[in-house]
This record gives sequence, structure tokens and C-alpha cells, in this order.
Amino acid sequence: MTTKKRSTGLTAVCDAWQLVDIDVTASYPIRPYTAVMAEVAKRIANGQMKCEMVYAEGEHGQFSIAHGASMAGARATTGSSGVGLTYAAELYSPIAGGRCPIQVLVGDRTLDPPGDFGSEHTDCLTMRDNGWIFGWAQDAQEALDNSLMCFRIGEDPDIMLPQIVAMDGYFVTHITQDYEVPDQDLVDRFLPPFKPKFRLDVNNPVIMGPQITPEMGPPLEWDRNVVMQRAKGKIVEVTEEFGRLFGRHYAPFVEEYMTEGAEMVFLLQGAHAVTCKSAVKYLREAGYPVGMLRLRWVRPFPEEALQAIAAKFKVIGVIDTGTSYGAAGGGGVLLVETRASISETPDKPIVQGFTSGLGGEVITHDEFFRMAEMMRKTLEAGQLVQSSTWVNFNDYV
Amino acid sequence: MAKSYPEVPFAAIVPCPTVENDKMVTGNWRSLRPVVDMETCTFCKTCWLLCPDASVVSDDEAEEISFNLKYCKGCGICSSVCPVDAIRRVPELDFTD
Amino acid sequence: MTVQYEEIKSVKKAPDEEFYLPGHRTCAGCGPAIGYRLIAKAAGRNTIFIGPTGCMYVANTSYACGPWKVPWTHAQITNGGAVASGIEVAFKQLIKKGKIKDEFPNIIVMAGDGGSIDIGVQAASALFYRGHDVLFIMYDNESYANTGIQVSPMTPYGGNTTFTPPGPMIPEGKKLFPKDPMLIFAGGGHPAVKYAATASIGYPVDLMNKVRKGLAFEGPAFLHVHCPCPKGWTYPSDRTIDLAKLAVQTGMWFLYELEDGVRKWSRKVDKLRPVEDYLLGQGRFTHLEPEHVAKLQAWVNERAQVLGLNATLPPVH
Repeated sequence: MTTKKRSTGLTAVCDAWQLVDIDVTASYPIRPYTAVMAEVAKRIANGQMKCEMVYAEGEHGQFSIAHGASMAGARATTGSSGVGLTYAAELYSPIAGGRCPIQVLVGDRTLDPPGDFGSEHTDCLTMRDNGWIFGWAQDAQEALDNSLMCFRIGEDPDIMLPQIVAMDGYFVTHITQDYEVPDQDLVDRFLPPFKPKFRLDVNNPVIMGPQITPEMGPPLEWDRNVVMQRAKGKIVEVTEEFGRLFGRHYAPFVEEYMTEGAEMVFLLQGAHAVTCKSAVKYLREAGYPVGMLRLRWVRPFPEEALQAIAAKFKVIGVIDTGTSYGAAGGGGVLLVETRASISETPDKPIVQGFTSGLGGEVITHDEFFRMAEMMRKTLEAGQLVQSSTWVNFNDYV
Repeated sequence: MAKSYPEVPFAAIVPCPTVENDKMVTGNWRSLRPVVDMETCTFCKTCWLLCPDASVVSDDEAEEISFNLKYCKGCGICSSVCPVDAIRRVPELDFTD
Repeated sequence: MTVQYEEIKSVKKAPDEEFYLPGHRTCAGCGPAIGYRLIAKAAGRNTIFIGPTGCMYVANTSYACGPWKVPWTHAQITNGGAVASGIEVAFKQLIKKGKIKDEFPNIIVMAGDGGSIDIGVQAASALFYRGHDVLFIMYDNESYANTGIQVSPMTPYGGNTTFTPPGPMIPEGKKLFPKDPMLIFAGGGHPAVKYAATASIGYPVDLMNKVRKGLAFEGPAFLHVHCPCPKGWTYPSDRTIDLAKLAVQTGMWFLYELEDGVRKWSRKVDKLRPVEDYLLGQGRFTHLEPEHVAKLQAWVNERAQVLGLNATLPPVH
């Protein structure tokens, strides 16, 4: 039976973790993701969830505990936010290279300095090079669904990669929303039990992670590259399967919104897309030929999906809710990745960057309107007017 | 010409050895070889227990000590701990094998 | 742990089976390697090792191989305690939920001094606090050896390392006195630790029995094992056991157990030999002046008194 529920994005992921019967999770408090662990703790105490929650000594410990549990064959999760995610930095590559498919819930948060509880994407984007698959959910439903899909993709014997289920701090972690919790039977059909190729087992003893010679390094890393590329096909396959089974059909990589006849599109990820869609509706009524592209994955970055549709538009305004100081183009990560994806596409659109929503600020309708006006100026000029605009700081309208 | 790399195991996970780890043979490190005088030896097995490389072979039935020269590094601990000085360390160059 | 304690009565009665096999790139005469062999022998087949980065990782697994007959996994130097915690919890859960049919294994962390008491101290402390059924063993060669001998919190006062070289400005080389892991982990501050012991490869039967005891006790146990290091301490490789014994005989290493907080000395010591007997022949101490040796002797004497060792102590010159 699907159950209709009204709760937060964090609770929704806890619902997913309950459905998949995780074995081990590791907790440590940091705003804004903490409530998911409190929810797990409650459900363990009242017998709803049959897993162990280890009170880790810190985020580095959390990731390590989940790693160990996964090596022993358990389905393991953890989570964090902000500087907690960067504190765990040492572990991202060992876990991905060790092919341990743990799942990490991220309630994103601006990095210090100084303390800022507001949402920004920089925290886990900073770790994007280490070989995990991840992307942002725009609401509680998608967070739950992404969690289920990530287990399925990550634990697939052809993949075996750890996953990050990311969501905007406060906007998705804390705002109460309506969502559906799928039926246990359907989830059991969708996700088989976790059976890794290798686990720590005295009856099948193995040595995990010995020191290697330099010349063994490249082939191991090539393998990691191959599997990351293979994940793209698996994402398509699983997203389609999910749609068939659960009735919610997601675009595997890029959600298009009102792109019919759009000459300009916003490109972004996460919860600000909700406001963006509303703004796009107003803008269309006001005569702006604008639409929206929403990324569901940032690793593997969906370059092929973007290449396939890029030539439909004349201007892409990439919105980064995060920073990458000194990056080419003066904006953030998504700006660089988007430009790189379509750099060789014939008839490619002009790509300009916007940095907005930093520090946990809402991106207002007004700001979307101003960004649209700036894109319109680019459209008129037929070339970049300004490579990167930090909204409210160096707007050119 | 593209370089060809060795086969690498999944996620750098390798099987455990069962008798010896012959991917790291160390007998050629040795410059002094242990030689035991079984007449003097009391078969206390101290040398056997304390060899870092498990290269002192103890035949419990025959009560005889010998050495696994494939791996013995010649550290001399066996000789040093022997309570009756039954083990000498002899230059490798003195041997023909 | 559910293992029953079965005492090993003597060297000759030590179990035959090897679980740390020939074929590893450790230095000739490596103390930690002797430790590993004895520990693996005492623990037996139903064992999983966690090996944080250090000599016992790099030297043992060069290259893409290893000498363990039982399952072994690498961990970061920072997180031996945490990875072991995750493994322990996983086994408990998977067995409880019927997802595996395994018997709960011995779970042993083999961490160097750095991985236990310095960069690894947080994870170790958390493991002890949470009460996991894990035996955490610190193989103490008194330096960061794998990286070429750098100072660690276990390097003795006066120990020459590449970060504490003696010179006119710092004649003793190392000015700091070491941490005491037994006090830190088992001195009462981690209530779940019911058994802890120091051990030495110089006393192999004692060491093996302490491993078994640690495994038999419920919850976490801590072993601090003294493992002389020919490369780090600069002495001829055949003296490893000799030096291990001298450390105990001079009080530069104390051998005792802490069972439920009560100290039990492992050997009868009537009188301590002067520290010079231990320092002699170790290259890392050749620069010491008499006043430095005196400081070391004073430190040993004070520790002996604080720990309650009833023995005649050498004079401080």
C-alpha cells in the first residue's frame, strides 16, 4: 500500500532507508541534516527499523564506520552537511575506489567561514572528483525516490559505487511537504538484498586494499573511470524501471520545463527549481521565451543529455548555488561543467553564469526575472555580455 | 605504441595466501645464513616461535629444526635467542647453493 | 566476545598453525612482524584484521599481496577504530537478521603508535567508548617508521628521529616525554574497557595469552605491544628480542594487565636494571649526555613508583 505522508525531505529519506532495511548507519550531529538520524534513532527504539545506529565521533568517523560495515557486507548509510562533509574528505576516494556502495544523505550547507546554516551546494560538490555518483532532489518525494534509485544503481554488481543523495538544506530538509511512501512489496521487487562480490569472511578470506606498485595504479583508476561511464546507462535503465514500477517517471538526467519554443533556459539543480518553474510561468506570460532545465545528476555529469538538447536554445543561464573561487568563467561548478559539456556541440548556445541563492538565501521571483532580463540582453547581443553574474553584486540590468 | 598494463583485481582485492606469500620472496636479502647444530639443540622451539618470517621450520616428530631459505632474511634473531647457542650465522658466500 | 580463554602454557605448546605466513617486505628482524605473527597465531582462524596505514600495512602488502591467511583490510591511519567499529556492528546485525550464517569473528585492529595514539586516537577512543567487541592492538615501535622514522608521541625522551635530530640547540634531540596509552584508554576514562594490557615480543607466551584474554573479554580490549625496530632504533637486526627484554628489565617498558581497573604485574621484578643497559647499542640514543640519561632514569623511577612496582630502583646520577 502506498502511504500518503506529510513530512520533510529528511523524513522521506528515512522512509526510504526503512523500506530498504539498512543494516547500519552512523550518526553525528550537524545542521541541517541531523533530524534524519534522530528519526532513525526513534524508529530503532520503537522497533520500526532493524538497524544499528553507531554514534560516530565525527564525520570522518561516520564515513569510516559505514565503510567498514559495507566491507563486512552490510547495507550501510550515513549523512552530513557543510564542513562535516569536508571533514570526511579523506574517505571519499577510498570508499569509491574500494567499490563500497554506501549511501550518504547530504543536507547541503554553506561552508565555513564563518558559521552559516543556510543551504549551498559547494559542500559536496567540492568532493565531486572522487568517484561517487550523486545529484540533487528538488523535494521530499524526489529525495525518497532518489534514495531508492541510488541503492539500486550503486549496489548493482556492474556498478558498485557509493552514492550521495543531496538536498537543499532547509528548503528540502525541513519544509513539510506531501509525498507518497511506496509499497514495501514494490520496493522489495525493485531492490534485491545487498550481495557484494567480496566481503570480510573467514570462509573466503581476502586482503582488501594492499599497497600497489605505481604501474598497477592506472588500470585500477581506468576501471573507476569505466564504471563511472557505465553508470550513465544504468541510471537510464533504473530510472525507467522505477517509473514503470512506482508510477513516477523522472527524466533520467535533465528535466525539461516549458522548453517548447524557449530560446533561453535556466539550468540549475535542487529546490530552487521549484521557484524557477513558477518564475518561468510568469516570464512566459510576460513574453520571455524562457524555459528551465533541471539537472538530476552532477556525477556522472550528463554531458550527452545536454549535448542532445543544447542546440534547441540560444542562451543557457546556468545558476550555481555555490562557489568555485577562481574557476574558469568566474562562476561555479555547474557553469564550468555545462560549458565543457557543449563546447564542441554544433550550433551551441551562449552559456552565461549566475551565482545566486548563496548562504541559504531564497532565489526570489524578482531575481529570476532579473536573470531572465540579463539573458534577454545576451540574446539581443548575440554574444556573452558578461560571463558570470553574481546576482545582486554585479548585475548588468 | 600504447603501453599495456597488468591485469588488476577488482577494487584491489586479492585472495589470502594459504602456505606462503610468494609474491614477496625474501631469501635473496640474506647475507648471513642460519645453520643449526642439532646435537646442541634442545628443541625448545624458541627460534621457531620468534622468527619474524615464520622461516624456522620445526619438525615436531623428528624434533628437528631447519630453515626456510626461500624466505629467511638472515636477521639472526634465531641465533640470538637460542639458549644453547646451537645456531651459527654463516656468510652466504660460503655456500654453493 | 564469545571465545573461551584457552591459555598457552609454553613456547613448545604454542599452536602450530601459522596465520601470518612467510613472504613480506618487513625489515630483517622487524619487531612488529614478530608481533603480528604471534598475535595471529594466538587469535586463530576465525579472525579479521584491520590494518591502518603504517609499516604493518605498506611493508606487509608490497605489492598487491599480503602474508595473512585470514581476512584483512586496509584502513586509513586515522580510522582503524572506526572501520573496526563498522565491521563489528555489521557482523552483529547481519547475524542477528539472519542475512549471514557466519560465527561472530575475532576483530582485531593492528595499528602503529601513530594510528593508535596520535592521528588515530579519536577513532580508537570512540571505539572504546562505544564498547564494540573489538581487540585494539597498538604495535609500538616508537616512531612513524614507515615514512622513514619520524617522531611520534611514543618516541622516548632523547630519541633521535628525523624530526628530532640532536644538535647544539637541542642536544637531547627529543625533549618531550611520551603519552601513556594504557592510562589514556584504560585508566578508567573509557568505562567499557574491562581488559587492557601491555605486552612485549620479548615475552611471546605472555603476549599470546594476553591476546586471547582480550578476545575473551566482553567488549573492547586494548593491548599495547612493545616492538623494537632495527631501522628506527638503529641496532643490528638480531638484537630485537634482546632489546625487548632489556626494555622490561630496565623499566623502559612495564609489563602488566589492567583487569577491571586492577593492575596485575606480568613478571616478578625485584630490581630494575639501570636504563643505560637498554640504551647501549641503540643508535637513536648515542647522542645522549649523562644528564639526559639521568632524566630518563628519573622518569622510569617515577613511573615505577606511580604504577606501584615494588622493585629496587637504580639511582639517578
